[in-house]
Amino acid sequence: MSAVADGRKLVLNCIRAATRSSSVAAEQVAGAYTVLAREYVSHGSMSAEARLERMAERLREYDAEVVECLPEELSAAIAAQLRSSGRHIFVAPPRLPAAWIAAGFEWRIDHNLPPGEIEKAEGVVTACFCGVAESGTIVVHHSAAEGRRVITLLPEWHLCVVRASQIVETLPEYFDRCKQPPALVTWISGPSATADIEMTRIKGVHGPRFLQVILVRDEC
Amino acid sequence: MSAGAEHEVIDHPILDPALAPPFPVAALPVLRNPQLRMNVAHAIDVIQAKRARLVAEKQDWQELRSAASRIKDEALENLGFYLEQFEARCTAAGGTVHWAADAADARKIILEILREEKADEVIKIKTMTSAEIQLNPYLEANGVRAYETDLAEIILQLGEGEPSHIVVPALHVNRSQVREIFARRMGIENLSDEPEALTAAARNYLRQKFLSVPTAISGANFLIAETGSVAVVESEGNGRMCLTLPRTMITLAGIEKVLPRFADLEVMLQLLARSATGERMNPYTSLWTGVTPGDGPQKFHVILLDNGRSSILARKTERQTLRCIRCAACMNACPVYRQTGGHAYGSVYPGPIGAILTPQLEQMRHAQSLPYASSLCGACFEVCPVKINIPEVLLELRARVTDQERKQVLRFFDPLYIGLRVANLIFSRARLFHLAQWAGQIGLGFFTRRDGWIHTLPGIGAKWTQTRDLRGLPKQTFHEWWAARRKESK
Repeated sequence: MSAVADGRKLVLNCIRAATRSSSVAAEQVAGAYTVLAREYVSHGSMSAEARLERMAERLREYDAEVVECLPEELSAAIAAQLRSSGRHIFVAPPRLPAAWIAAGFEWRIDHNLPPGEIEKAEGVVTACFCGVAESGTIVVHHSAAEGRRVITLLPEWHLCVVRASQIVETLPEYFDRCKQPPALVTWISGPSATADIEMTRIKGVHGPRFLQVILVRDEC
Repeated sequence: MSAGAEHEVIDHPILDPALAPPFPVAALPVLRNPQLRMNVAHAIDVIQAKRARLVAEKQDWQELRSAASRIKDEALENLGFYLEQFEARCTAAGGTVHWAADAADARKIILEILREEKADEVIKIKTMTSAEIQLNPYLEANGVRAYETDLAEIILQLGEGEPSHIVVPALHVNRSQVREIFARRMGIENLSDEPEALTAAARNYLRQKFLSVPTAISGANFLIAETGSVAVVESEGNGRMCLTLPRTMITLAGIEKVLPRFADLEVMLQLLARSATGERMNPYTSLWTGVTPGDGPQKFHVILLDNGRSSILARKTERQTLRCIRCAACMNACPVYRQTGGHAYGSVYPGPIGAILTPQLEQMRHAQSLPYASSLCGACFEVCPVKINIPEVLLELRARVTDQERKQVLRFFDPLYIGLRVANLIFSRARLFHLAQWAGQIGLGFFTRRDGWIHTLPGIGAKWTQTRDLRGLPKQTFHEWWAARRKESK
């Protein structure tokens, strides 16, 4: 279907000529890859408590709002956040725990909602796959409790629940937790931002303007 | 290498290496514009300070750099293997992979996809490769309007300006200039010049486009061979909009973007944001694999672009150029870039990395002045997260430029060439050397002032004395002093 016949052959031939490798066996390449030296820190040494504190501190540096709660307080904490946001219409991914869907608000459950509907919502509540304390990063794999990519993008207010047991200290520890590489990932570090005008950091360009995080002490 | 040919000083920057004037000429408009120099210096001071603080807190920074350069070298060593693996996995996940030998092929492939989609509009994530192949003017000429969605790119597109940096392309434009551009092109009266207001204006301007334009174009920060995934690193969320809302996604990626495995991102993502914007992590990084039913674009095309890269791969010293992850730390650290800004480089890739990448992408047919646009201080090498020894490559390229010049008949008329040939002759014969010293003392004596300095020279010598003084020749040469000393000691 390509407009350019044989671009593939042309490019690959040039590469093969440049690397002097006509065809390499997969095992050979895998062997070369496995022996690459990696001397950087892969595992941190913090206690669960310190990890949680670090995660909160780094999130706040990105202007995210962070509250902590115990597992049994989670539903109440979510409801309190929704109330204090002054918003009413929220999107929820299809498998968000029922206890998180607080009463007294309008909920749009995302069974393939069209973008226009999601756009009209004032906020979104999701779970996540992992939190990385060192950089205050929330990692989302877009499962049915984390939601499709679009639902954490269009509403200007995103409330994300992160459990202490999901928080790792370093980025390599997150990769360790991925048994299989996921097909979709979004690494979120604070609300949408830009510094394109005179290096002044402005929150909220196209993605959510507000990132709210509830840290659940299920492990500390 | 000199700015031999006469070029008019132009105010509008030209970023096509085939048409741009040599670096020393192209740098003049900026050097004469104090406002522009202040804008550039301010921006890079801010990024540099943030970067320095975050790199200092990272105890394993050097180990991360070493690992990153090893991973990139491995990917390049077996590039054919990894690209084929990427192609197979991406195709299995529902993507379509195209291969483009050069810029013209890439443009044709993209236009053909757009025609198939019956697209007359397209939204774009900031991509250096699309600027490299000059995609926007080509699409425009073929009836497709391209909307840039990165804030800095909107400023440049609406203001008809050119990028001067690869991470913050509009760093040379200040807030009042942005206000003027937005007020005029978006038709907003009473727009304030507060960055908040300007950012909000851009958000409103693009919102409907995001929700209605069904085709998007992106670049790629990383391709993952193991999984066939693509990763895009950004801040504003405009990237996520383009990656999520349209029906069709087109990604244009240089062949050197491939990483062997998903977990290699644990190294790259730690280095990239810290080096690029001085953040522990950029707000959004997205990774996707082919198409996912029910989530995001249901048609996905990747174009793997060579455009001179395989010829860089073939050369031992120069190959490291392809490790680059486009973080721009080298330009932020460069004392030359700090003075000239990006437009002087006559390429979409400015700064030290541009000085080595551009002439090579041009197969050394253009941009030969760029390898000389450096003091070889090595600051770029020191900050490079993938350890590209830029000064080493600069020297190699200077040697190649000199080899080219050696083949030119015209060199016999170049004062520099003639001067060096004469010097060669004089320095290799003692008699001639003494004679030249004697002649020099008499000749330069006319121009030497009482303070022992030469302040002005006529003719070609004026090129030196225009900007600096020259010390006059001493009364006694070293040979004379040495001989006198030996006589004394006897």
